[in-house]
Amino acid sequence: MTSPSSPESPWPVRTVARKVAEWIGRLGEVWVEGQVAQLSRRGNAATVFLTLRDPAADLSVPVTCHRDVADRPGLVLTEGARVIVRARPDYYVARGSFSLRATEIRAVGLGELLARIERIRQLLAAEGLFDATRKRPLPFAPAVVGVITGRDSAAERDVLVTARRRWPAVRFAMHNCAVQGPTAAAGVIDGLRRLDADPTVEVIVIARGGGSVEDLLPFSDEGLVRAIAATRTPVVTAVGHETDTTLVDHVADVRAATPTDAAHRVVPEIGEQRRLVDGLRARARSLMSGRLEQQERWLESVRSRPVLAEPQRLLAGRADDVLALRGRATRTLTHRVDTAERDLEHARARVAALSPAATLQRGYAVLQRADGALVRDPAEVADDERLLVRVAGGRLPVRVDRTPTGEDGSP
Amino acid sequence: MTDTPSPETAPEPTQTYEQAREELADVVRRLEAGGLTLEESLSLWERGEALAELCQHWLDRARERLAAAQPADPTD
Repeated sequence: MTSPSSPESPWPVRTVARKVAEWIGRLGEVWVEGQVAQLSRRGNAATVFLTLRDPAADLSVPVTCHRDVADRPGLVLTEGARVIVRARPDYYVARGSFSLRATEIRAVGLGELLARIERIRQLLAAEGLFDATRKRPLPFAPAVVGVITGRDSAAERDVLVTARRRWPAVRFAMHNCAVQGPTAAAGVIDGLRRLDADPTVEVIVIARGGGSVEDLLPFSDEGLVRAIAATRTPVVTAVGHETDTTLVDHVADVRAATPTDAAHRVVPEIGEQRRLVDGLRARARSLMSGRLEQQERWLESVRSRPVLAEPQRLLAGRADDVLALRGRATRTLTHRVDTAERDLEHARARVAALSPAATLQRGYAVLQRADGALVRDPAEVADDERLLVRVAGGRLPVRVDRTPTGEDGSP
Repeated sequence: MTDTPSPETAPEPTQTYEQAREELADVVRRLEAGGLTLEESLSLWERGEALAELCQHWLDRARERLAAAQPADPTD
């Protein structure tokens, strides 16, 4: 074995080359899966050169094989094709270049492709990338819509035309890239990153027309799906026909059936919105005027109530009372006066009747003693006593003289 | 003597429409219940009139505002 290398006794290139070749050879034969990135056949040269790319990791490795291996019947080897390769690591000492020497190449079949997609789907689903809770709502009327599609593709036209018709004020941030083949996934991811970083972009639409499973393969690329999951901006996918499902559809915030449908989802239709607003406005107005009417009717009814409408009735009532009272008062008064008069009459009559004046008038006289007492019996009076005689015409002081005068002499 | 309502004054401007309406309804109730002195019913009646006028004013103003808010051309 050669002695260890050192600055004093360095190895010659051939030794290093041989050792490297040895090391590399230790890998042995491997089956490797990837995507054909470049494929070059020089005329009828025996060797075919191609580059095998790992779509998820954006790495690639040179592969060489004998022409027969590449031209095996049934194998359609084209750029972008997914293949499985049986190969051994080969170190071409002459030029110090590494490549994989392929002894068998198999195209990954459609079934195999779908199976692979399913495996990736389950892997990502398990990680929760497709959970409904991750789905973000779309903005109602985004000012700027990011669009990732093939340049001048039908999908691009559908999205732009439809969106502008619905919401003329909408603006777009375009990202055109390949939408099939080996560079598609990377192209879309690049667009996603750029548009996601732009704060003015409020929603991103990834749109592509229909295509074969292989054509749509980039849209089931694990790297792309993870990129979509990582974006801050909501993503709408419109990839392939309604019946095709690619993994991006699972991770997207909204899956649109077609590019036109995507436009319907991201921008509102202006006419519709106006009708909606006008309708609400009319309803509010009628509610308000209905309310007003109800209040006006109430006020009307209150004002027409007699106590308010005809206050004079209040007074009238009172006036009648007063009138009635006066009437009664007058009647009572008159009645009382009449009675009084009648009483007076009676009293006067009685006085008149009782009063001695009439008797005196008839010639009678009334004797009163000094103290006013009336004399009813001569025995009450002493001789020579002064008395007062009251006759109709007036009074007469007299003295009692009991000397017999002879006529009847009755004591 | 029941507390005679304060001598008739215009309803305070700070009163809301609902308060004015409520008081008006109360005035009418008390007038209809009767049993008031002449002076009380007179000033109560004046209060009622003022309140009714105020409510009317509010409703007219509301009507105007509603009409004013009418879009100039609903089909613009």
